[in-house]
Amino acid sequence: MKQKIFIIAGLVMLAGVIAIMLADFFSSRKADKANPYDYKMGELRKTDSTCNGYIEQLTIRPALEEIHAVACGAGDRIFVAGKNGLEIYQKDGKPDGNFRFEGLASCMALDKKGRIFIGIQDHVEVFDQLGKPCGKWNSVSPESMLTSIAVTDSYAYVADAGKKIVYRYDLNGRLINRIGEKDPQKNVPGFIVPSPYFDLGIGKKGELWVANTGRHSLEQFGDDGSLQSAWGEASMSSDGFCGCCNPSHFAFLSDGSFVTSEKGIERVKVYSPQGKYLCMVAPPSAFIEGTKGLDLAADSKDRIIVLDPEKKQLRIFVKK
Amino acid sequence: MPNRREFLNTLMRGGILAALGLISGSVILRSRDKNACSGGFACSSCGKSQSCSLPAALAAGQMVWQLDPSKCIQCGRCATNCVMTPSAVKCTHAYAMCGYCDLCGGYLKPGTKTLDTAAEHQLCPTNALKRKFIEDPFFEYTVEEELCIGCGKCVKGCSAFGNGSLQLQVRHDRCKNCNECSIARNCPSQAFTRVPANKPSLLKSFGKEPLEEAGRKGVRNA
Repeated sequence: MKQKIFIIAGLVMLAGVIAIMLADFFSSRKADKANPYDYKMGELRKTDSTCNGYIEQLTIRPALEEIHAVACGAGDRIFVAGKNGLEIYQKDGKPDGNFRFEGLASCMALDKKGRIFIGIQDHVEVFDQLGKPCGKWNSVSPESMLTSIAVTDSYAYVADAGKKIVYRYDLNGRLINRIGEKDPQKNVPGFIVPSPYFDLGIGKKGELWVANTGRHSLEQFGDDGSLQSAWGEASMSSDGFCGCCNPSHFAFLSDGSFVTSEKGIERVKVYSPQGKYLCMVAPPSAFIEGTKGLDLAADSKDRIIVLDPEKKQLRIFVKK
Repeated sequence: MPNRREFLNTLMRGGILAALGLISGSVILRSRDKNACSGGFACSSCGKSQSCSLPAALAAGQMVWQLDPSKCIQCGRCATNCVMTPSAVKCTHAYAMCGYCDLCGGYLKPGTKTLDTAAEHQLCPTNALKRKFIEDPFFEYTVEEELCIGCGKCVKGCSAFGNGSLQLQVRHDRCKNCNECSIARNCPSQAFTRVPANKPSLLKSFGKEPLEEAGRKGVRNA
């Protein structure tokens, strides 16, 4: 009798052990198991919705396979360039022309005559508004990666993320000088460009501004390459620039305010001409997580045009 | 015809023999593992390839497990589901992609104000990622494999805020190459795959995005 009790107790214990093993085996397959090492990106992407100063007014869906560069022209026509072509839209989003070219456009600008300057990897090509080629500038280096162009009445400024330098050309493609070149003799540190996002723009007074992304700053330069002023700080919060290297792109409003876009925490913001954070244009929740390359443009009415390469859209924001 | 007592005795002896077999088998496997090399990922360059299991797999024309970083979502299961402790999955650094950033998203906790090596600022739960000053403002980051548990936290930070040069990979000097990989079975993004032993790595390169490929080529060489 006593032996029988031991056997039954042993069998019950064995069954218990098997049940625990089975439960452990199958519970490890649960897909919703919490990650003890989670980075918690969601927390970083949260913003205060009361800081949103803009609303999305219009969305344009270009037909190009990839889109990488946006610019505004006369009459607030919108130009978008990408893989093997360019499309033009009227300010209300209606198609207004297109043409094809060979290569992947990474940046674009227009001059007062309406000529279109397109950066294609290591060189610049110039077209008229009907797509007729007007010039092809020499490549500076096979290592060059042109990421931004800005054009004034006399000069074209080109940012090269590959060589981490800005070139000043005349409008016929003759190289005049280099800006921001690393020079240990003169104690010039050069631009810090950890990733291929390196933007520049022309301010309200015709001054050159360059995004020194690795320093999280926007820097103003004279035509001789001298540093005039700078602002910006690294921060995950809305008033600063996040990640290793931001802002990835910027543009100007008519009063000289800066519109900036970032990668990492995808967001578009407005800063005063003095660099004071003013408001959010598009919060991280407006973008697919991981979106990079939010090129920007602003028209004469200060509408902000955001190129969203992930959604393949031009998104136009207006002030609330 | 054995009586009940004899039957139970035979059953017990059989059970003890099976348990002894299991214990001795696992002891032999563990001792073999201790002899395995603890060197780097590329066994041909680690200097300890004589004891590594990868050349044997190579000679036999076998397939080995590897993790595709382009599919990896850094869920943390590589750290918790591997039969090895710590996991055979480790963070690997693709130096050619690295921006050598001061504010490294893979090294520093988000929101850290002072960019230094203080333990409380480090993202890695085991302090396996090391930082060395090169020149202002560049820093080199190296992974101390003995400390790395393969959680992927640094990989997520680097992918989100940097160039994605930190990537998880199965280290074949540690992996037991199980028929049914415990991590693969639990991987929510199906990132684990079998690859030929002669091409055991699946590191992400600049080739995925043509625009970035050209740019990074320049950034790397400049």
